[in-house]
Amino acid sequence: MTLLLPILMAVQAGADDSELVLRMQRRDPRAVAELYDRYGRVVYALVLRVVRDTGIAEDLVQETFLRVWNRVHGFDAQKGSIGPWLLAVARNRAIDYLRSAVGRERNAVEYEETDHPALFCDMEKDILSSDKARIVKSAIQKLSPNQRQVIELAYFEGLSQSEMAERMGQPLGTVKTWVRTALKNLRDELGAVVSA
Amino acid sequence: MNCNELRDHYELYAIGVAEDPERDEIRVHLNRGCEVCMRGIKEAREIVTLLGGTAAPSEPSARLRRRILASVGVEERRFGWAPFLAGALALSLFAVVYFVGREGETAKELARAREELGTRNIELARLNEAFTILNGADTTVTSFGKGQTQPPSGNIFVSRSQGVLLIANHMQPAPAGKAYEMWIIPKGGKPKPAGMFQSAGDGSGMHVQRGPVDPNADLVAVTLEPAAGSDQPTSTPLFAAPIRGLLQ
Repeated sequence: MTLLLPILMAVQAGADDSELVLRMQRRDPRAVAELYDRYGRVVYALVLRVVRDTGIAEDLVQETFLRVWNRVHGFDAQKGSIGPWLLAVARNRAIDYLRSAVGRERNAVEYEETDHPALFCDMEKDILSSDKARIVKSAIQKLSPNQRQVIELAYFEGLSQSEMAERMGQPLGTVKTWVRTALKNLRDELGAVVSA
Repeated sequence: MNCNELRDHYELYAIGVAEDPERDEIRVHLNRGCEVCMRGIKEAREIVTLLGGTAAPSEPSARLRRRILASVGVEERRFGWAPFLAGALALSLFAVVYFVGREGETAKELARAREELGTRNIELARLNEAFTILNGADTTVTSFGKGQTQPPSGNIFVSRSQGVLLIANHMQPAPAGKAYEMWIIPKGGKPKPAGMFQSAGDGSGMHVQRGPVDPNADLVAVTLEPAAGSDQPTSTPLFAAPIRGLLQ
């Protein structure tokens, strides 16, 4: 249950997100307060999972909300939920920090592409519903330890397959197999969810 | 590469860790509007979003919320008793000031009303005294100033038993610190003070001297004296009227 708590905090958000986005686009700063109340915990949990430092995590969460506030005009409030975009921005900020902190090449331009607001406009509004969260948890639990590790290295540390192979001391081909299998399993488990 | 070969890389692309050549190939497909890849990337983003919610729950500090809101221009006020106490104190002070002020105002208004009432009562008493003299059975009247080029003029009513009533017109306002003083002057004797008065704004003047009139009174005169009054006239009478004949 605790694994799902952050998502549960954002469960009821989808239906009202459109109005919230419109208010932010009209530059109502109080809408940011509501956005934070809906998604602040899940965003913080994600960023902390990546950077593993509470102070840095809070700085990055602040950057995230400010970034969304400044770019919200590019989001189509009628088509999608702002939650997934917020998570994408948060994750990219955290990964970008992590890469720069350990001296890895920053990939800010690519992250810029992956958290562009237009990409999230057609996403389901209830993508962060509690039902779907349970299915995700179940799908991840079904992965083998290696498969789960490569997924976590990719998502929470931003490692490419080559970097994973180096980190894990495994042949690139082996890592690619784990990644491919893990993603296929997740896709099979979650495909019905994301297509619903 | 065809779409089927790129399928396993959609999620990696969606989270920004895809590598070339697959990354470039996906971009090419997306740029040319490949519906298969566009749909595949869309679903991959949704899966990635779901992964984002699987981090272990953590509670940020309350300060973070304030920081974020401050960065967009919202100043959050911390909840505490201080604002309420300050508000209550301010309200209390306001109430005290208000009611003290109101009390002060009320007291001032009451004093003004009391003063006004006092003035009215004095006026009424003077009128009653004047009517008493006018209605006296022994009251007689004499005029003064008629036919003269210099004001004032008027009438003096004398009731031997009730007193003397002076009604005058065309009296200039007394200078500052001065007042009119009436004298009853007996034949061959010293003038006796018979009260101070002021003229009204329209030049009229009325003065009542209650009490039995000295049978030896010969004249009624009025002089301009210091406001405190004089025991004896210090200036030339403005006018004088004989009343001896009225007392017979």
